[in-house]
Amino acid sequence: MSSTQPTGVASKRAYVAAIAIILFFWQVAAWFLPDFLMPDVPVALQRLWEELNSGDFYEGLGNSMSRLGIGYGAALFFGIVLGLVGGTLDMVRSTLKAAIIILQSIPSIAWVPLFLILMGFGNLPIIVVVAIGAFFPTALSVMNATESVEKVHISAARVMGASKMQMLRRVYFPAVTPELITGAQLAFGNAWRALISAEMIVGFSAGLGKSLAYSGEIADMTGVMTNILVIAILAAVIDQVILERIKHRLLRYQYL
Amino acid sequence: MKLQFSQVTKSFGDLNVIRQFDTTIRNGEIVALVGPSGCGKSTLLHMLAGLQQPSTGALTADGASVARPSPERTLVFQEHALYPWMTLLDNVALALEFQDKPRATSLSEARKWLSRVRLVGFEDYYPHQVSGGMRQRCALARAFIARPKVLLLDEPFGALDALTRMTLQSVLKDLIEEERPTVVLVTHDVDEALYLADRVLVFSQRPATVLKEVELGHIPKTHDLSAFADVRREVLNLLGIDTDEHQPKDSQGETA
Repeated sequence: MSSTQPTGVASKRAYVAAIAIILFFWQVAAWFLPDFLMPDVPVALQRLWEELNSGDFYEGLGNSMSRLGIGYGAALFFGIVLGLVGGTLDMVRSTLKAAIIILQSIPSIAWVPLFLILMGFGNLPIIVVVAIGAFFPTALSVMNATESVEKVHISAARVMGASKMQMLRRVYFPAVTPELITGAQLAFGNAWRALISAEMIVGFSAGLGKSLAYSGEIADMTGVMTNILVIAILAAVIDQVILERIKHRLLRYQYL
Repeated sequence: MKLQFSQVTKSFGDLNVIRQFDTTIRNGEIVALVGPSGCGKSTLLHMLAGLQQPSTGALTADGASVARPSPERTLVFQEHALYPWMTLLDNVALALEFQDKPRATSLSEARKWLSRVRLVGFEDYYPHQVSGGMRQRCALARAFIARPKVLLLDEPFGALDALTRMTLQSVLKDLIEEERPTVVLVTHDVDEALYLADRVLVFSQRPATVLKEVELGHIPKTHDLSAFADVRREVLNLLGIDTDEHQPKDSQGETA
């Protein structure tokens, strides 16, 4: 069934072609630049393979993924709640939306100095920065979608005697899901960028961002490119495979 | 359930939609409201559903003021009122789930009602996968499953083709005869009103006032409306005189 197949054959082919082109340009750059500035693609792939067989890599990966999971998860939860509640409250909606748009325009990484002092050196400031990056697009998309829920869907639930809670759960939530998913994918991009940059700046315990920053500090360009490779692959896998799969599952009815 | 309008007016800002409306609908009576579009008859229906309140005057159901929606008084909308993210079965079961009935009971009742509107085999289809006529059958099942004392119909078949509409009118008529709710039907279709109603109220342009009240209770109902020829001509003439934007034709195929 097509619903279990997140990407069609055509889009898979496009992905393969895009990856080939990116790697090709990298390799062209490597031919023109000395090895200590830009490693060859096979060299970086070789390093990646070694990394995958070392324990350190998995420690960093685990740390980064749990920061992402907690930060992104919390952002989704609070974003959905605020979006639904804000979208149904006519009085505060426009003010809330304006506030979100203003706060959203601040790159979440800009909060790092404040949070470092506020929360101390550790996981928490990184998680909070990730959460901030993901929270605003989620809240905004849910709020916009909540506003535009079809009137007749609300009236129908009211005449059937739905309570406020039932209304949120059975009408508003499924009605906003398509836009929520779009917002959540946008939020993931923000969360991912925030995670890597915060880890690079904060440099607390192992992590993908810290590993990248460290390679740069010791002028290990193979390490830098390998880390970038890991970051790119992970983002693509999470977004294109995991999130797309969840999207198709939640919106199954649209693909029938 | 006896429904009573006493001196009801309704305005939206400066717009006077209903002026000094008085009528009593007896328990078990089937009343059709016919009139030009935008004349305020849908507003009367929404007030009966408790979705809107009169600006002045009183509206009571069995003596109690109608202040909010209740599953006792359910409303069937013109279209698009089924939830696209639920199967037909879940859409119907939802009416009981909103009344905190256990899910298993709701589902088995919903199956029964879907078979009463002849939708056996379509339980697991989503609304967009079935025809408009089937969607409205499902909407009827969802309305009747809650055993309402008052059934309010807002141009329920207005979006259907003439043949489908006549079939659904028969389905509705049978259900009404078996379940015996008090019925208020808003329609543009004079033939539909004559076929289903005991009494027809013909409305003028906004603000809605009753031009004529026609009692039909004693005449047996069939789709052959020859017994109603005189009444039909009179009603159509009344509507013709008072309509500028919309001339009802002597055919079933007329829509808003």
